Amino acid sequence: MATLPAHDMGAAANAFRKDAREWLAKHWTAEKRAAHARKPFKERGWDTEFSRLMGRDGWIGIGWPKQFGGQGRSASEQIAFITELANSGAPGQAHGTGESIVAHALFSHGSKEQQDEWLSAIRRGERSFALGYSEPEAGSDLASLRTRAVRDGDDWIVNGQKLWSTGGDKAEYVWLAVRTDPDAKKHAGISVLIADLHSSGVTIRPSLALYGKTFSATFYDDVRVPAKNMVGKVNDGWKVITDALAAERVMISATRMAGIERAFDHFTEYLKTAIVDGKALRNDPLIRDRIGALAADIEVARQFQIRNARLVEQGRVPIHEAAIGKVFTSELQERLGQAALDILGTGGLLSEDAPGAPVGEMEQVLRHSIMGMIGGGTNEIQRNVIALRGLDLPR
Amino acid sequence: MSIQGTAERLSDFDRNLLRRSVRELLSRCWPAGDAVERASNAPAIAALWQDMASQGLASLASNTGETGLRESVLVFEELGRAACPAPLLGAVAANLALAGQSTNATRAVLDDVHQGKAAIALALGAFDGDKAAGRVEAHGNELTGRASFVEGVQAATHILVFTDTPARAAVVTSGASGLSTQETPGLAVPAFAELTFASTPAALVEVSPNVLADIALVARLACLARALGAAQRAFDLAVDHAKVRKQFGQFIGQFQAVQHKLVNGLITLDGTRLALESAAEARDGGDPEWRVFAQAALAFAGPALRDVSIQTHRALGAIGYAEEHEAPRHFRRVHADLARFGGTPRARAELADFLLGPVQ
Repeated sequence: MATLPAHDMGAAANAFRKDAREWLAKHWTAEKRAAHARKPFKERGWDTEFSRLMGRDGWIGIGWPKQFGGQGRSASEQIAFITELANSGAPGQAHGTGESIVAHALFSHGSKEQQDEWLSAIRRGERSFALGYSEPEAGSDLASLRTRAVRDGDDWIVNGQKLWSTGGDKAEYVWLAVRTDPDAKKHAGISVLIADLHSSGVTIRPSLALYGKTFSATFYDDVRVPAKNMVGKVNDGWKVITDALAAERVMISATRMAGIERAFDHFTEYLKTAIVDGKALRNDPLIRDRIGALAADIEVARQFQIRNARLVEQGRVPIHEAAIGKVFTSELQERLGQAALDILGTGGLLSEDAPGAPVGEMEQVLRHSIMGMIGGGTNEIQRNVIALRGLDLPR
Repeated sequence: MSIQGTAERLSDFDRNLLRRSVRELLSRCWPAGDAVERASNAPAIAALWQDMASQGLASLASNTGETGLRESVLVFEELGRAACPAPLLGAVAANLALAGQSTNATRAVLDDVHQGKAAIALALGAFDGDKAAGRVEAHGNELTGRASFVEGVQAATHILVFTDTPARAAVVTSGASGLSTQETPGLAVPAFAELTFASTPAALVEVSPNVLADIALVARLACLARALGAAQRAFDLAVDHAKVRKQFGQFIGQFQAVQHKLVNGLITLDGTRLALESAAEARDGGDPEWRVFAQAALAFAGPALRDVSIQTHRALGAIGYAEEHEAPRHFRRVHADLARFGGTPRARAELADFLLGPVQ
């Protein structure tokens, strides 16, 4: 494999990485890989059966505190595991949102009953979530969301529309941001509900996103959500949302970084032996210069990831540091995809199932990069955050 | 011979103390208001060097010391921040090349360096990496050849020259017969010099080519650290400026165009520092892959820090364009240091060699 040398993440992370690799080798078998590869691209990555297997053997919630049934693994160990999971190609999306976002909100804001009900099921790989945040008039300005929830007895009645929910057509539940006080200032009147996507009144309309998988618009028409499914206090949802996302940006970036490194490794492995028009691509000085530049960028992206992990391990929540990692990593993915087109030429446009495609996955890497620059808050919004929190510039 | 020290290293806390101590020393002995004028003043540099030596900084990276590359890059960063041309590059290279196997003559020079009595300029010759840097050969105890782009010659008492045929580290006194020096002014301040050796007597020690190449890589990282310190200082001034300068009735730091420009600078500066420190830590820890991490830091920082420097000036506007402002000296330093030793193209080529194998 033509790859940059690995950084030593410490003895514990190295040992845990070995355990993870061995477990994946045993359970993400060649047969399963082949079956997974035969699926349409948009179906890959989401496998509830494999999530349950991971849950059975304790691979979900490894970083959760022990009092919530987790293993209290360090950020370095979690990154080691995420990297191994990505390198193996095993699917982890079905439980990912529940494990990384919903659970962390429940630790801080969930009632004892909610923690008992949801956390163990998430850890077993038996609950899948989509996020219900964005709306037609609430993208970067999320706090202007309008989807209403009105209390009616033991239920909240929800009316409104959500957009761009990844996994919305596959998940069982939605982590739903709603407005419960239309008269309060916009950040103050928001609450969070866990809603069953199979409830009466829910309409789900998936769209195929540029990267090859679906995201969904979801419509809520008088949807009844049990009041016990409100997480945090009523009208206190903005804090629930932001707390849940803060530390988890680190893990989300780690997942993306693992994917970028994997694609880069495949790309350079191809370039080592490829002959085009009788000439070895590896000898082309322009290609070598471009690959050297990308390798340097990947090393820097790794450094941002390591810094974030260390901050988390020190008990700090990286805010602008996490935003820096997100901005740099997603824009690096875009550069990698563009470089592949320049180097591979028209062949770089071919997808992995096209006969004779060189590498094959690079055009998808490019399409996917857009998601990284938009999802979880656009890079422009991230830069605003860095300006205020990292440089203390005036509003 | 290994250039990797084995002594117990400083803690992060101690390194922060070291940074504060160096910054305080330089603010006292090399104040920003006089820095440019003093840069061409050899006696002023010699006096500063004595002050630095008295704090043990001339012994950085000694095999027997407790300081490694992490501490060295930290001090170079501070030199860049202060626009200070202290002859540390030659001292670090001499400490790495000459310690442990030096002759009486070279041992005496090293002692003088550690006491601040001697200042060494470094000529890497064939190990420089810049194709136009020249080459010096050793014949017996004499040197012949040319070395270009050598810094710090004006204040140097000695020149440390690397030769490749055969591989040697040679120490030449500045007034040696057959040595001629020509200043080559340009973007770098103080100016580089071109040295010509014609049967010039030298004290030579045998050093393996691999060790000389590793020392040259350390020199590249040192210059990167110096460029980082310079870029960071000018950037800090630009950020401060954006918080107080008003145009169109508001602070320019409130404009998103300015904010995002500065944010991009912060990302680059943070990325460079993390990659540089990681490479230094890998070397100090004995990781043989430190060279790859070093090449990555160099390949990233070349274009990235230069852009920070440019964008810093755009944020400062005409206020930062006058030579009496600190920004121009840092602009010069950033560009000069990052263009040396083969610059970005060389570092990228080295990474390509690692990933794709050498060109066949």
